[in-house]
Amino acid sequence: MEHAPAQAGHLETSTGLDNRKLLMWLFLASECLFFGSLIGAYLLYRGRNLSPPCPQDTVLNGVACPGVYDIPFTSISSFVLLMSSLTMVLALAAIQRNDQRGLRVWLLATALLGITFLAGQAFEFTEFHNEGLSISSSLFGTTFFVLTGFHGAHVSVGVLILLSLFVMAWRGRLNQEQSLNVELIGLYWHFVDVVWIVIFTLVYLLQPT
Amino acid sequence: MLEPVLLADTLKEFLEDPAWLIGVPLVALGALGALLAMSPAGVARPQAPAAEGIVAGHPTPEVYIRIALILAVITAVEVAVYYVDALQGALLSILLILSAGKFVLVALFFMHLRFDNRIFSTLFTGGLLLVAVLFAVVLSTLGASLV
Repeated sequence: MEHAPAQAGHLETSTGLDNRKLLMWLFLASECLFFGSLIGAYLLYRGRNLSPPCPQDTVLNGVACPGVYDIPFTSISSFVLLMSSLTMVLALAAIQRNDQRGLRVWLLATALLGITFLAGQAFEFTEFHNEGLSISSSLFGTTFFVLTGFHGAHVSVGVLILLSLFVMAWRGRLNQEQSLNVELIGLYWHFVDVVWIVIFTLVYLLQPT
Repeated sequence: MLEPVLLADTLKEFLEDPAWLIGVPLVALGALGALLAMSPAGVARPQAPAAEGIVAGHPTPEVYIRIALILAVITAVEVAVYYVDALQGALLSILLILSAGKFVLVALFFMHLRFDNRIFSTLFTGGLLLVAVLFAVVLSTLGASLV
């Protein structure tokens, strides 16, 4: 259903916009509800039926309950994901000016930052498991692992697509006219980033009183 | 065990809590309003204005780097605020505002809502609005709270 552009930036669709981009935004809107439900579930069960270990250091029935969150470590992970958004837009800027070398460098950098974030998440999950927190140990464990696990799955899919784009760029099969492909993947990647911004604040930093 | 509570009781607590009553709706409306107001209104994608820092309808790499620096500083402030005991009372308000600021900056500049057609902003804010309604209904009905 795609038509040749009548003029630069204006397509002969009913909206004058590229349908693929419209569809991507619609998909992201639906993803808002998906992650909204998971974050809502986490907030709903937060502080209820707690059993050690707890999210943050707290006192449970008069007994100290050690916290599992490592805020400095997660802050660095958040910073890594935030910077991957920068490298993603630099990749888009590179393909828009037909800078093939810049495109390859920034796509690879974005994928590597994504892999770094995932490695950090794997380390965090392992640490939590060693401290006795599992997906079935408490409501906190269930809602935490489901929420952050689904986010990690989204990052993993993004990394795979980024690596695919990198291979295409490496083989010279991604040119300036196909910059929309990079822009669409960029939208998905930035969305994953903004979801983490919300998760980092609501899940890690906010403490129940 | 999770005990559902009457909406009326929760509504009373909601109305008595300034963090809920003023802070959360203000931040949510501000973020949604910024996304909508700062995106162009035309049906077609706007042709690139000859403004400084804007090339072919998108920002230049220098603008992207400036935005990334601002985001890094906000993240550092968030973590710093978390460790300041004197600010614990206002932690919710401060973190929500800083988080909303980061969200809006990424959406406006990295996702180009500042420069793209308003239809995209409307779709995205529509999804966010539904999330806000979902949060309000579920959390208030079942008696959960951000604070």
